[in-house]
Formats: sequence, structure tokens, C-alpha cells
Amino acid sequence: MQPVQLFCWHFMAYPYLAKNFDQVHETGWVTVPNSLWDNKKARGLYQEYIDQLAYADELGFDGMVLNEHHQNIYGLMPSPNIIAAALTQRSTRGKIVVLGNLLPLHMNPLRVAEEYAMLDQMSNGRLIAGFAPGGGPETFNYDIPSADSREKFWEAADLIVRSWTEDGPFAHEGRYFPLRYVNPWPKPLQTPYPPVWIPGSRSPSTMTEVAKRGYCYFLSSRSHGGETHRAQQEFAAVLEKHGHRYQPFRFGILMSAYVAESDRQAREECEEGVWYFLKNCLKGHLRREGRQLTFGPGVPYIPAPAWKEYLKNYKPGRKLLGDVENWEELEASQSIIVGSPETVYQRIWNLIERAKVGNLLIQFHIGNMPKELALKSMTLFAEQVAPRLRESSLSFFEQEFSGVNIEQQKGASL
Amino acid sequence: MSGRFLDLKQGKVWLLENGRGTPLLYLHGFVDVHSIKESWMPFHELLATGFRVIAPAHPGCSQSDENKDIEAIEDVIFHYLEFLDRLKIPQFDLVGSCVGGWIAAELAARHPEKIRKMVLIGATGLFVQGALIGDVFMMAQPERGSSYAGLRQMLFSDHDHPKAWELFPDGMGEIEDELRRYQMLRFGSRIGFKPPYFYNRPLANRLHRITAPVLVIWGEHDHMVPLSHGEAYANSIPQAQPLKVIPKAGHSVHVEHPELAAQVISDFLTAKAGNSR
Repeated sequence: MQPVQLFCWHFMAYPYLAKNFDQVHETGWVTVPNSLWDNKKARGLYQEYIDQLAYADELGFDGMVLNEHHQNIYGLMPSPNIIAAALTQRSTRGKIVVLGNLLPLHMNPLRVAEEYAMLDQMSNGRLIAGFAPGGGPETFNYDIPSADSREKFWEAADLIVRSWTEDGPFAHEGRYFPLRYVNPWPKPLQTPYPPVWIPGSRSPSTMTEVAKRGYCYFLSSRSHGGETHRAQQEFAAVLEKHGHRYQPFRFGILMSAYVAESDRQAREECEEGVWYFLKNCLKGHLRREGRQLTFGPGVPYIPAPAWKEYLKNYKPGRKLLGDVENWEELEASQSIIVGSPETVYQRIWNLIERAKVGNLLIQFHIGNMPKELALKSMTLFAEQVAPRLRESSLSFFEQEFSGVNIEQQKGASL
Repeated sequence: MSGRFLDLKQGKVWLLENGRGTPLLYLHGFVDVHSIKESWMPFHELLATGFRVIAPAHPGCSQSDENKDIEAIEDVIFHYLEFLDRLKIPQFDLVGSCVGGWIAAELAARHPEKIRKMVLIGATGLFVQGALIGDVFMMAQPERGSSYAGLRQMLFSDHDHPKAWELFPDGMGEIEDELRRYQMLRFGSRIGFKPPYFYNRPLANRLHRITAPVLVIWGEHDHMVPLSHGEAYANSIPQAQPLKVIPKAGHSVHVEHPELAAQVISDFLTAKAGNSR
């Protein structure tokens, strides 16, 4: 058994928007004008962000997390693999989690197989390979037809893993990506292949596909009320159905945290960055203001019967995370956990205990937060929160999951 | 109204039939029978006073089965060839609106002999440099969580048009209406949500094959398919009448002005061939 795995996630937001951005612009995604990009300010930004991730490795985080976004201010990583490549040379211990490459946006899945294999070799076997289908904004970014995007996604994901596990050359007779010669050089270093993580938002079909293949399910929701616990139970039930037993490291969640010397100081220090994140970065994504692109009839990727089920409980105009109006509402969403080391420990521990989750992917740099504050928060977390979380989680997991094999998958069993 | 299923190899097709006389195949668009309404709208009923109107629901729309083999317009054409074989109507009048108009034009270019006369209303399908077809998918994502003003503006002459409000209310309409709308968007995404966006570039150079007399109708204020697309259709089809522009109408001519649209169409379809130009 191992303790909870604590990862540092960096979204690499564009931090130089004017104060009136929210009043002037409809969205932070897809159509947010790139004339706002300011080279005078942004020079050196990637270096600063990479430094923060390298520092997380020094602090002893279990890994660094990156993901792919396009044409937006929320995350400046159209190619997370480029940042991951830099991290292979700037870090020595932690996992490099790319969560993930958006497979339907890649012309040829073999390219993903090749780049991930390179990253695994370059990092001495530290890659966690994330595959994601992309959501609404990405549909518009690259004009990805929605109706068959899920089928396309799974064909690509399976082809990549097959290319890592089956000797080539072989022909892939797929529907969407037929290839005559599948034969990647290099192969990944980890055997049988790097751990695979797949994000989902509680759709039963995604959980089932992830469970069948032995991968880790990553809940992409940003808020953690009762839903997180329910997602864990649902996934555990799906695993059970496919002959596996749930264990904490088959499951991961995303949250944001800010730690300072006291609760009051924490709030004071992070509040500007938090509001920047909620009102600017989430506009167009998890905010009803403007035009929300993430989910809806314009990105019809779920089959019609599932959409009908969704409509039955749909409340038009309901609040999303970015619509919170005050600090109390934000606290209640359990999305961004802010406070002293004691407060942050307690709140995260409650979540772990309730949701039995083993992979915590934590965003420390929030919105336009100055780097000094992000680094201070990471340090306090690593020194005063992480050790306690590790200690409590280890004994809790040992008790709850004694005798359960926590090794990553032994190969897709399709 | 009578509805029935046709069983094709690739799945069931739901179709409505109404009226007597010359068979008229009607292919629907986004604001139409099957895509919003379960049953006929006034425009179709007016047409049915002079014709036998046959309106199939596109694959995945209304009660028609979804067909995963549909990835491009070519696959839709094949679907309709099978449908027509089964209907056993050797020749018919063809009327299509929006995406339905695109399907009609493609069908007529491939099988001119099947078409007696054809009418296109605000049809997508052509590439016209500098005149992008509007992004109906992005507009289908509500603003402020519940406003469909953008969608109404795209599909009608004005977002405040009473018909627009009736068919695309803010918030949520009847679940079944919402579902049909979703199904239509999902069908549309199979052929239109990728480059090329609701067009088939080679179509322009194939339109000369169409032998039937053709009428092209366009709303003066079509915010989805620019008027220049109407001109391109009218200018590229040999037997086409001059483009008929309907004033004070948007993309949904047949919904905004059902009487006028039905009148113009039945006049054209019943006129003796040869006196068109």
C-alpha cells in the first residue's frame, strides 16, 4: 500500500488580462481575441511556469500535471508534450502526468504513441499517459464532428496502447485511423506500458470503458461536494461488475488549493488570483455568463437517448463554478481550498476519507497569482500539509484496502 | 397526418405523408418538421393541398434510426437512393430547405432523371469565397445559461421574430422538442461540423448536370447561409429561374412566411415547363 499521491497541476493561464476583461469580452475560450496577447509582458512566462513545476519536483510532490487546451486564456498548452519534454530535463523524481493529449484533435494517434514513448524514455520511465476526448471548446477549436468523437477517441486510445504492447509492424484495420504499418520507435520504457489515465465527468459509458481496460479514472469535475463520493461509488460498482475491486489509485480528482500562515492571510493573498481564475479563465467553460461552450446541444457528442435523460434533470441557467458570487459560495463548492495548513489538511483529509481517492491533482497557481505566492503556498503545503495527508491516508488505505493489489494495469483486457 | 416507417438495410426511416397528386419529396432543415416539430407545420400543410407531400426524417432525426455510417454528404445521398428505391417513385418534385436543400441539390446532380422540378430554400452545400455559412452549432450553445437569441438571430430574420420565440424559446422548451432539435444538430454534425462546414466544394461544378427546372428561394436576411449562396445556385443550375428573394425573411422563409413560400412554390411546380425564363 502507498499513501495518497499528491500531484502539482499547472494550467499555465494567461495572467495579463486587463481588469475590465470580463466586462468587455464574451468569453475566454476559442474566440477570445489573440490581439490581447502582450509579448512585452509574456516574455519569460513559460520559463516561470516550468520553474514552478520543477520546484514541485524538488519539494517532493509525486508528480507534475499538464493538459492540452487550445485558443484560450485558461491554459496555454496547445501541446503539453512540449512542456513535458522540458520537464524531463528539469525534474528527476516525480511522475510527469500529461492529462491528456486530446486524441480526436490529433490527425494520427500514432504520433501520440510516438511522442509519449519518447517522453517515457526521456524521463526514465516517469510518464503517466493521459488520453482525453476533448470537450465542447475543443470541438470548436479544431472543428471536430461531435457525433462520432467518442468512438474515434476509443479507437485511437486502443491503437496507441496496442502499438506499445504488440510487436510491430502490424496493420491497424480501424474505422477512423486505418494504418498499414504500425511500428513505433521508440517503445515506452515502462512495461507493459505507462499508466493510462482517462478523464470523465461521471458518464457511465466512460467509466465502463475505463474499467474494462484497467485504467485510472480521473474525475474532471472541479467541485467536490457529494458528487465526488458518488462518482467514486459509481466507478467502484462498475469495476466490480467487470471483476475488479476498487482501490484508491484507480481514481483521481482535480482541486485547487492555497495555503498560507493563517486562514485570513490565505484568503487575502489568493483572492485576486482566484477571482481572476473564476471570472476570466472559466468564462466560456464553467460559467454561464457569455456563451458556455463545454456542454450543450451544439456539441452533440452523447447519443440522443442519453441526452433525453440529461434534459429531464436539466435546469436552464443553473449556476456553474465560475458563477459563484461571493467567498462563502466558493467555499461551499469545495473546489478551491484556501486556508492555514491545518484548515487545508482537514478539508482535504475529509475529502480523501469520504471519496477514498488516491490521486489528488492540485492546482496551486491560480489565475494571475504572482509566482512568489504560488511558490510559498506550494512550500507550506509540501512541508506542513502533505506529510500529514500521507500519514493519515496510508493507515486509512491499509485498513480499508488490505490485500488489494494496487499495481497499475497489467495490460488491457478487451 | 399519417406517419409510417420504411425498413431499409441501414435502419428504419420515419416519414410523414400528406395530400394527393404529384409526389413531392420534402427534405427538412433545422427549422422544420422532424427537426423541431413532430408533425406538419403550416407551410407543409399548404403544400399538401396540391401535392402528395412525402417528408422523411433524416437518419437520427425524430423517429428515424441513427446511421453511424454517415460521415459525409455522400453517405446521406446513398441513404436517400435506397429510400427512393423502396418508395418506388420513379420521378418526383423535390423541395429542400437548409441542409435538406443541400441534399436535394446533390441528389439532383447525381440523378437528374429522377427529378421533375426542384426547389431549394436557403440551401447549404456550396462553397462561396468570403461568405461563410454561419456556425449554427456555436449558436446552439446558450448565452448566460439560457438565452438562444444568437440561434434565433441566425435562423430567422430577427431574433425577436414571434415564430423564432415560439420555436426556440429561452431556457428549455418541451423535452420532446428539445430532443428533436438535438437529434438534428447531431445529424448535422456528421456532415457539417468539420471542414468542410456544410458544403461540398466539388458540388458547384456538378450542378450543370441538373436538367429539371429549378427555383431557388432565399430570405433577404438569411443570417446562416448568405444570399450569395442563393445566387451561386441560381447561376450554376442551367434550368434555374432567377433567384427569388423573399423580403423581410431570414433563413427560415417557409416558417416566417408560410403562405407566400407555399404559393411561390406551388405556382412554380404547377406552371407549364418552358416558360420559366
